Amino acid sequence: MSTAPALDKRPAAASAPGRRRVTLPVLLLIIAGVLALTSLVRIVTGADGITNVSQMSTALKLAVPIGMAGLGGLWAERSGVINIGLEGMLILGTWFGAWAGYQWGPWIGVLAGIAGGALGGLLHAIVTVTFNVNHIVSGVAINILALGVTRYVSAFAFEGVPQGTSKQSPPVESLGQFSVPVLSDGLETINDKGWFLASDIAGLLGGLVTNMSPLTLLALALVPASWWILWRTSFGLRLRSCGENPTAAESLGVNVYKYKYLAVIISGGLAGLGGAFLSIVANPFYLEGQTGGRGYIGLAAMIFGNWMPGGLALGAGLFGYTDSLKLRGGTENVHALLLLIAILVLIGAIWLVLRKKYVGAVIAVAVSALVFAWYATTKEVPTQVVTATPYVVTLLVLSLSAQRLRMPRANGKPYRRG
Amino acid sequence: MGRMPRTTRTRITRRCAHAAAAVAALALVVTGCGETSSGGSGEKGDKGMAIAFDIGGKGDQSFNDAAYAGLERARKEFGYQGNAVEPKDGESDADKVQRLKQLAKQGYDPVVGIGFIYANATKEAAEAYPDTTFGIVDDSTVKAKNVAPLVFNEEQGSYLAGVAAAKASKSKTVGFVGGVDVPLIHKFEAGFAQGVKDTDPKIKVITQYLTETAEEGGFSSPDKGKAAAEAQIEKGADVIYQAAGLSGQGVVEAAAKEKKWAIGVDSDQYKQKALSKYKDYILTSATKDVGGAVFALAESVERGKPLSGEQRFSLKEGGVGVTESNPEFGKVPGLKAAVDRAKKDIVDGKIEVATAP
Repeated sequence: MSTAPALDKRPAAASAPGRRRVTLPVLLLIIAGVLALTSLVRIVTGADGITNVSQMSTALKLAVPIGMAGLGGLWAERSGVINIGLEGMLILGTWFGAWAGYQWGPWIGVLAGIAGGALGGLLHAIVTVTFNVNHIVSGVAINILALGVTRYVSAFAFEGVPQGTSKQSPPVESLGQFSVPVLSDGLETINDKGWFLASDIAGLLGGLVTNMSPLTLLALALVPASWWILWRTSFGLRLRSCGENPTAAESLGVNVYKYKYLAVIISGGLAGLGGAFLSIVANPFYLEGQTGGRGYIGLAAMIFGNWMPGGLALGAGLFGYTDSLKLRGGTENVHALLLLIAILVLIGAIWLVLRKKYVGAVIAVAVSALVFAWYATTKEVPTQVVTATPYVVTLLVLSLSAQRLRMPRANGKPYRRG
Repeated sequence: MGRMPRTTRTRITRRCAHAAAAVAALALVVTGCGETSSGGSGEKGDKGMAIAFDIGGKGDQSFNDAAYAGLERARKEFGYQGNAVEPKDGESDADKVQRLKQLAKQGYDPVVGIGFIYANATKEAAEAYPDTTFGIVDDSTVKAKNVAPLVFNEEQGSYLAGVAAAKASKSKTVGFVGGVDVPLIHKFEAGFAQGVKDTDPKIKVITQYLTETAEEGGFSSPDKGKAAAEAQIEKGADVIYQAAGLSGQGVVEAAAKEKKWAIGVDSDQYKQKALSKYKDYILTSATKDVGGAVFALAESVERGKPLSGEQRFSLKEGGVGVTESNPEFGKVPGLKAAVDRAKKDIVDGKIEVATAP
């Protein structure tokens, strides 16, 4: 056995669930509280755009590719392989999705997109698992390769085809979209009334049932499905054990190579699905440079979510929501959100006082006062602030909870069968 | 793999992984490789015009393709092959300098940088090759004897687009979608808004920029353009002018779906094949004759009297303008007359169009 696990100097408690965990009821309570506050802020400021149905449905559309890339990252990293190549797999997904989509219909396109991404995943697996190349190096190489290859083959595949150019595929037929009949209209009506809380919840749910693509539904379902597979099946346990301690897993008879391969291929497939969503649902065609770094943002969403599907979905949602806020003329809406932030930080301060952390509390009160002053003295927020918001939040999450974030222990380490 | 002590290796790997994951995730590093579509051979010293594309390159259905059309015309008329070179994504200024110098060294004359990103590179290359004529589109900061900056009065074309939008709007609300929040695109916004206001001061103009920097994909994300246009339509806009490169396709799509007007940019988008499905809703396009400007430079070199100093292409010379290819353009009451009047007033100097909002 050549790769004994490195001695871990940290106390065992770090991995055991010894610390307080947020239980589901508490989490729901927090979400409900934030929603109620948001609603209050909306009524006080009159910024109805914060929670309207189209805002939410746009946010969802923008969040799906990010979420799928992030979910892909989650699968790979849970098995111990860092996947920086998500951006490249996303690109492969857009290209194959549109290429097959315009010829044989959108559903074949979706399958081809998944296959294209999975192909990228397979390559990453061969290079990192079999040949033990540094995961980052391989990932970056895949990003460059995917961009170059798609650019090269586009010239043959799309140029000369009606409505296609060397950078853009011909249009792909729509997958269609549906609104849940009665529910969609009903929620929109409630949303338009501007009631406290009810309208906001209606807006949030309305975004989920109005003009939704079947692919969005599939993407949404994949988040809990991934959680169930990874945390509730023996397959998932084995896969995660490869990411935590492959040698131990091997000693218990787990075929680590097989699980790593599967995880990375699935990872590529998920990113490919995100790409197909971009080139079939979000735009009805492939376009060079269409992914615009969404693979990296997906990775950020995954880190934001502490390598867990739920947190990842929240992170992707946050990125999608701020993007949509900005694109929909968000300066006044974001201005209203300043008030929300001020209140939230104030609540944080009170919580710190209760826990007798006075220094932190004072800082929090000061921050809250500053944000409130900003809110009170200005009428709108520069768009740059809106753009930066999700990144700042990610940085805050990373820096504030660095102690609690825990990636799979053997993530990114080379592994050799014993 | 080298035989490092195991613990060191794993520690380094882990640290690398942490750092790299965070950095890569947040820095949005877009890497890529470019390709060179090289032209054929020609005698040394008389290879004709070479153009170096802006980001987007050939096939962008707009700016770069227009420049390429200028090169094609020069090829046909002067019988040389010329050359057109694509940029790499995320390349540095040094790469651009290298590219222009290389083209000059190979004997191409003139060498034209398409887009203001070539400004610094043009300056440097022009110093190194004083006998070659250099062109630079959309930038007038380079001052040298052998450099001809080719600049356009985009605001004038946009003004006319604004007049057309004001005449076609029934809801008294129009929208502007800009790709990236930069001075060049501000010119489009300023001209458009002024055109609208001068025609009907009661009309509201909603402005939206897609991204802060080009790297975020402001010129290449139709889905973002679509989202922005949908929001503007919800707020009541019934004519939307877009200066957003390829993202503009999303704007046109969103407008066509809601049966609202869209106004194209740079080239006549009514005739663009990728947009043929929605062309009935493209009221007009504010054009910018990059091809003509590039050709004019090639012609001057061919005749032995190379252009030098700033070459401004305005409404007067037909360097900018609006198209009338959509038959609906003539059917909107009062539209054509208003546009023609505004055109005349601008050419006569009666209307000064602002270049910044």
